[in-house]
Amino acid sequence: MNTYVWLVKREFWENRTVWIIPAAIVALLTLASLFGQIEGSVFDTAERVRSIVGMMFLFFAAMSLYSYWYLLDCLYTDRRDQSVLFWKSLPISDTDTVLSKLFFALVAIPLVYFAAADAASLLAAFVLSVRAHSLLGNALWQPDVWLQLQALWIYIIVTTGIWYLPVTGWLLLVSAWARRAVMLWSVLPPLAVMLAERLFVGTHVVSRAIGGRLFGYASSAFNDQTYNFAGGWPQNQFAGSPPVWRILDPWGFLSSPATWIGALVGAALIAAAIQLRMRRSDH
Amino acid sequence: MSSLIQARGLSKRFGSQVALDRVDFDVKHGRIVGLIGPNGAGKTTALRAVLGLTSYDGQLEVLGREPFRERARLMEEASFIADVAVLPSWLSVDHAIELVGGVHPRFRASRARTLLAGAGIAGGRRMRELSKGMKTMVHLALTMAIDARLLVLDEPTLGLDILARRGFYDALLNDYMDDTRTILITTHQVEEVENLLTDVLFIDKGRIVLDCSMQDIATRYAAITVADETLAAARAERPFYERPLLGKRILYFEQPNFERLAALGNVSTPSVADLFVAKLSRGASA
Repeated sequence: MNTYVWLVKREFWENRTVWIIPAAIVALLTLASLFGQIEGSVFDTAERVRSIVGMMFLFFAAMSLYSYWYLLDCLYTDRRDQSVLFWKSLPISDTDTVLSKLFFALVAIPLVYFAAADAASLLAAFVLSVRAHSLLGNALWQPDVWLQLQALWIYIIVTTGIWYLPVTGWLLLVSAWARRAVMLWSVLPPLAVMLAERLFVGTHVVSRAIGGRLFGYASSAFNDQTYNFAGGWPQNQFAGSPPVWRILDPWGFLSSPATWIGALVGAALIAAAIQLRMRRSDH
Repeated sequence: MSSLIQARGLSKRFGSQVALDRVDFDVKHGRIVGLIGPNGAGKTTALRAVLGLTSYDGQLEVLGREPFRERARLMEEASFIADVAVLPSWLSVDHAIELVGGVHPRFRASRARTLLAGAGIAGGRRMRELSKGMKTMVHLALTMAIDARLLVLDEPTLGLDILARRGFYDALLNDYMDDTRTILITTHQVEEVENLLTDVLFIDKGRIVLDCSMQDIATRYAAITVADETLAAARAERPFYERPLLGKRILYFEQPNFERLAALGNVSTPSVADLFVAKLSRGASA
């Protein structure tokens, strides 16, 4: 256990951009609320909710890009600069190493971005309320809306972590395997397989599986009846009593075979990444 | 004396290329063994197998463990510096000490700090800010602060100037080496480690060509320098290698008759470097 604490600390030392990027976004959003135009919107609940959800999406998009980069890089840079041999001279198994990186990607990074999104929303709320001369207490959104958003964040962290496990596993595998051009290797083989299937077999099984994984998250973790990405955020979701539960579909998500087939594929890819990490200490 | 490392039929191939060809060797407790061979001879592969960095065929036991399957456990009692290993550029000296202290049960931070203070390296600096020689010193300090039973060094002084190299070997011998330790070392600077070693292993083309203690070298090998008039008689003693030197010739013998050789010229014990050249050039010029 103690080893894991050190391994996670090590990730924070190495990847200081994990703080810098969200901090920069918080700063930009605060500046925007300082100097942006205020319309009547601060008093309109639906408008507020839309802007705070938009903010959340911004953080989520930044986080996804960052995690993609991190996963591809984490088992590759130390092989490129040969410091992998230093890490391997320590009594840390390759399984622990890979799992610590998985933990950083699935738990640490999301929590940092979550905290940053909260900070940004509270700061913006404060600035806007001061500018609109309203009372401070009134300005920190409605507490129940804010609490619902916390629940939504946690739900998204957990469900995306499980749903995208095959993608995570694939990126770790590429990171443990490639000798160069990790980005290219992360995309080309799946594309090649998709193309080959289409040309030589004439079916679309692989492309459907990959497409379904990449774009099927929202429909698998959220209730289609009340929410869809294309339709935007429903206007009055937050007006009544805890409506966030109507959007989330945890039972549907957990009982879907797609969720668990994906998790199994992800686990297999991660196991393969550990094996490669054991064997490939040369560049 | 027990074997810390025991290899039997150790083999490794990369595709069709054989890097290690059914190698047998032992490293016994308390010894300082030099693994010496030309580039591409299989030295690095052998060390990697010993350290659990690569899979292999055959039997290999290091400190009673199977290195590839149990690398993490092995590293609690063994430590190493590979010639190409670098410390992560983003890591500061202080963080490195903290981290190794955090994960290594046998690391003594105070010892690392003493060694670094001796080398004049400040703790707050990151590896990327240090010169190549300083980085090597940090790495050596971290490694020497580990209370390891087996220390493996692969070209440890590469990139160090002669003062730092001498300093390193002095520290290794005087401060580090004691009766709990065993060291396996490879280097191209054979002359530099010659006085340090208790045993030598020569490796060539994936095979061990000499496995001998330094004491046994004097009783097993001899070199004589002869002029032209005694050359024929000396050759009759069946040298395994000879080379010209300043108008005379040096001939090398294995298990010679020392009395007969003494009558022919000046008999000496070959240095490890000479013996290495003689052994490995045998096919070419005998």
